[in-house]
Amino acid sequence: MKISLSWLRDHLRTDKPASEIARILTDAGLEVGAVESNGVSTAKVVAARILESVQHPNADRLSVCKVDDGSGTPRQIVCGAKNYKVGDKVPLAQPGAVMPGDFKIKVGKLRGVESEGMMCSSKELGLGEGADGLLILDPATTIGTPLTELFPAEEVFEIEITPNRPDWLGHLGVAREAAAFGCGELISPAPSLPSTKEDASIAAIAAHDASSFYSIRRIEGVKVAPSPEWLRKRLESVGLRPINNIVDITNFVMFETGQPLHAFDAGTVAGALGVRMAAEGEKFTALDGSEHQLTPCDPVIADSKGAQGVLALAGITGGKASGVSDGTTSILLESAVFTPGIIRRAARAHGLSTDSSYRFERGVDAAGALAASARATALILEVTGGNASSELAVAGSLPAPRVVTLRGDRVRSLLGIDLDDAGIAALLAKLGLRQVTDGFEIPAWRNDLTREVDLIEEVARLHGIGNITSRLHAGAALSSEADRSYDFALSLRRRLAGAGFHEARSGTLTGSRDQEAFSTGGVIAVRNPMGEEHSTLRGSLIPGLLDSVARNLRHGAESVRLFEIGRVYQTPEKNKAEERLRLGLVMTGRVHGENWRGEPARPLDLFDLKGVLSRFGAVTFRAASHARLPLALEILISGKPAGLLGILSPADAREVMVGGHQGQILVAELDLAPLEKSSTAVVSKGTAALPKFPSVRRDLALLLDAAVPYAVVEESALAAKEELLTGIIPFDIFSDPKGEKVPLGKKSLAVALTFQHADRTLTTEEVNDALARIVTRLRESAGAEIRG
Amino acid sequence: METQIEQLRLEALSAVAGASDASALKEARVRFLGKTGSVSLLSEGMRSLSKEERPVMGKLLNDLRTAVTAALEEKENALTAQADAAAFASIDASLPGTAPEAGSLHPLTLLVDRAVQIFRRLGFAIADGPDIETEWHCFDALNTPADHPARNEQDTFYLPDGRLLRTHTSSIQIRTMVANPPPIRIIAPGAAYRRDEVDATHLAQFTQMEGLYVAPGVSLADLKGTIEFFFRELFGSGTEIRFRPHFFPFTEPSYEIDLRTEALGGKWMELAGCGMVDPAVFEEVNKQRGDSAYDPEKVSGFAFGFGLDRLAMNLTGVSDIRMLTENDLRFLSRFTA
Repeated sequence: MKISLSWLRDHLRTDKPASEIARILTDAGLEVGAVESNGVSTAKVVAARILESVQHPNADRLSVCKVDDGSGTPRQIVCGAKNYKVGDKVPLAQPGAVMPGDFKIKVGKLRGVESEGMMCSSKELGLGEGADGLLILDPATTIGTPLTELFPAEEVFEIEITPNRPDWLGHLGVAREAAAFGCGELISPAPSLPSTKEDASIAAIAAHDASSFYSIRRIEGVKVAPSPEWLRKRLESVGLRPINNIVDITNFVMFETGQPLHAFDAGTVAGALGVRMAAEGEKFTALDGSEHQLTPCDPVIADSKGAQGVLALAGITGGKASGVSDGTTSILLESAVFTPGIIRRAARAHGLSTDSSYRFERGVDAAGALAASARATALILEVTGGNASSELAVAGSLPAPRVVTLRGDRVRSLLGIDLDDAGIAALLAKLGLRQVTDGFEIPAWRNDLTREVDLIEEVARLHGIGNITSRLHAGAALSSEADRSYDFALSLRRRLAGAGFHEARSGTLTGSRDQEAFSTGGVIAVRNPMGEEHSTLRGSLIPGLLDSVARNLRHGAESVRLFEIGRVYQTPEKNKAEERLRLGLVMTGRVHGENWRGEPARPLDLFDLKGVLSRFGAVTFRAASHARLPLALEILISGKPAGLLGILSPADAREVMVGGHQGQILVAELDLAPLEKSSTAVVSKGTAALPKFPSVRRDLALLLDAAVPYAVVEESALAAKEELLTGIIPFDIFSDPKGEKVPLGKKSLAVALTFQHADRTLTTEEVNDALARIVTRLRESAGAEIRG
Repeated sequence: METQIEQLRLEALSAVAGASDASALKEARVRFLGKTGSVSLLSEGMRSLSKEERPVMGKLLNDLRTAVTAALEEKENALTAQADAAAFASIDASLPGTAPEAGSLHPLTLLVDRAVQIFRRLGFAIADGPDIETEWHCFDALNTPADHPARNEQDTFYLPDGRLLRTHTSSIQIRTMVANPPPIRIIAPGAAYRRDEVDATHLAQFTQMEGLYVAPGVSLADLKGTIEFFFRELFGSGTEIRFRPHFFPFTEPSYEIDLRTEALGGKWMELAGCGMVDPAVFEEVNKQRGDSAYDPEKVSGFAFGFGLDRLAMNLTGVSDIRMLTENDLRFLSRFTA
């Protein structure tokens, strides 16, 4: 909302500068976001007449002018503009002037010719872009007149008005608040209020839910014409376009008092004007020409006998047919109170947001409506002439003043201040709240003050939070479940960062296409998305991570390791929550970067990612199949399925890879909750005593069918509870495509077996026996031959 | 024999001194002190000596053995030290170090954690709630009028079933109070959503930190003290904090918090909203709980919330907020622990 400072000063006697007024308003809760300055505020810029102009001797593009600035001595000015003729009046910045942008004018030589100032364009004066070249002034302008008089500086505040304070939607309300906060003295126009009379033949309310107060004043013999300059300037200063004197006055009063008004051309109205709800399918053409199909939810103004149908969409916009035009000679001035919710609903339904609807949506009051009607009537009579009806025809009623109780102790305890009851009353009096027996009587314009806590807030504002002594309580708090989950996730993040992964954070709203491929349940779409790319809640972390991989490869990264801990969303299914915290991992590239050792960096493969996951304790794997992961493993935590690990399909990988990047893209995703559950111990388990006796290692070289997985070897070795066997490590695997070292279709596998007993040193015989049993099992279950 | 001993001594010491490496030294040891070495051979000559000469020569021989042994040991030590020193001489220690690839934590994680640690010092526990919320938790219970513009389809994401993506983490206040009686003191970091067009300073999804403290006698002075403590702990004791009266449906009085600190470029920056919990919120919670645990006459509280994305932008010096979700390794690598 724009508040013009000079307009504000009509209602506020203050000697404070704009910056100080802005600060006080901001401290009161009217946040002044920007102070715009229209007009010229630079001194030493005057109207001057160009006496002669000749070509600059040393520069084709410059001219040398003699100008009369009223000082008696013509000045010589070097000028680059071409849009003037001798005799024109233009702004001249004299030496000593400081132009916008802190540019100082002084006497100096331009290409060898002295220049005693600068002739200005509108842009150079800070008057906006304007036309190219010098600003040509009105020929009637008196030479020597300061530009600050021709274009007076007009400071305008851009204020953020909170929705609870409709009384601030007019200059008077802002002035009232400024005065309450010590910014000066309120100058309140006290219009003489006309007598009111309920007269249903003039003004009526049929829809009481939509309007509690409705008034009409008839003014005859008006002359519609352009507004006088003062009025036009006022409206322009707050960004309104002047239309004609009647409409401009209703707008002026709205921006002064916050009360929207509407003037009907009385000649278009037959019978009483009244508020009713529209009938289904009624049609209405608004002032701006837009056409609307109405419903019974729309409050309208209609005349009782007219053939015109709906004359206005109540509180939102007038109708084209009943508006004030050049030919209008008498008007009906409406000032009313419409119900906020009903106006908001109708305005939204018709896509019409007007200065009027904005104010009604936030709430106006009947007393204000009465005063605004009187103020506008007086102005109309003054500006356009004519006669007003002696009485104001009203429907509905003025509410009785509200009284709100306030307990001093409550104020003191909630605010933590030590202010006695008299002090509290004195503060509230600044806002016009009068102390009565039962509490405080609320001024009509403060619809927002209905409860004790509302008054406490006013005390807090006026007392100032700066005057409240800070207090700090600290205490012990048991950790919550969320605390423990937070700590677990953070420790996991740190471990993964330590393992070379960078933490990613991706948007949860994504495109639907890839989500379905990786989500393990039904995806959830948003009803009103901001475009297809952000239409779906992610069902998996993998698509977002792959996007990030692609972006990084495009930027030239050679290796990418990313993880993300975040929520995924799926339509709920058995044993699965709708929102789950998951861990996603993706890696591609090489094991390490280039360094001076010259060691070849091996490409990352599935086992690099499997190794990272294996460190998580209770994690095991089993074969799985997945449409997008031709090689996939299911991740089990404590034996239960919790996620997936795999190699991205070459087709998908090609979409992610760019340039010469090669190699596999490894992805994994798993639930965090079971992982957290499997590692809840403060200090990790492992209570068994450390071994006291030495272990024995025996290596076995096996020849196997190429298709036999390692897991079969491990299972065979460990089967039958071989109690001495404590470990098995595969340390060499090879096959020979030529069939020379290893027969075709076979592979060689070397494993190291570790034997140990907790209570004694093993004998060679014991180990030999165990090894023999294992070899037998390997032959039988895995079809292994022992090499060498 | 005495002369022989003296000669052998000179010979042996010279051989030891002349040994240039471990194997030469070993050779010298064998040659002089070995079973068939010169000293042993000479010892065998003792037998042919007279009773009187034997102890004298025996002593001389012993001295010889001791002297040679000592020289060998000294030389060995010297050679070892020399070899030890030489072992590292060829290394160019100015070459860069090598280490396994380093990862990093996201700057928002680091910021959230810093905030969490500070509030934990004051005894705040973490609370949590779903991103997909009911309109009641997100608006009704927070005293937001039924026709409030924030509920608009233009501003809030809705799901087909009528639920929504929470527009603020304040819904967690409600969930916490409905589930737990006072006193409560919680913070809740989390995501929130608004239908903003994504650009350099706006995301449709953002990160917030919510706080709530409800107990008997909690006042605006406590709110002020807590907020000041937090931001001064986060940005340093010189941080200036300004409370500007504002309006939120769920707190009264309400304030916006502006901050000025060198860490944020020395300019005033609007960072947070806060206020005293509106009694209407307590009444809604009581209705849902079916009791009067949150009787506004008996307990009071404050709540606050602030966005972390813009803060993270400022602290990391990025000018485009999207950098926080693009996961550019050139950016993330800066936060390597």
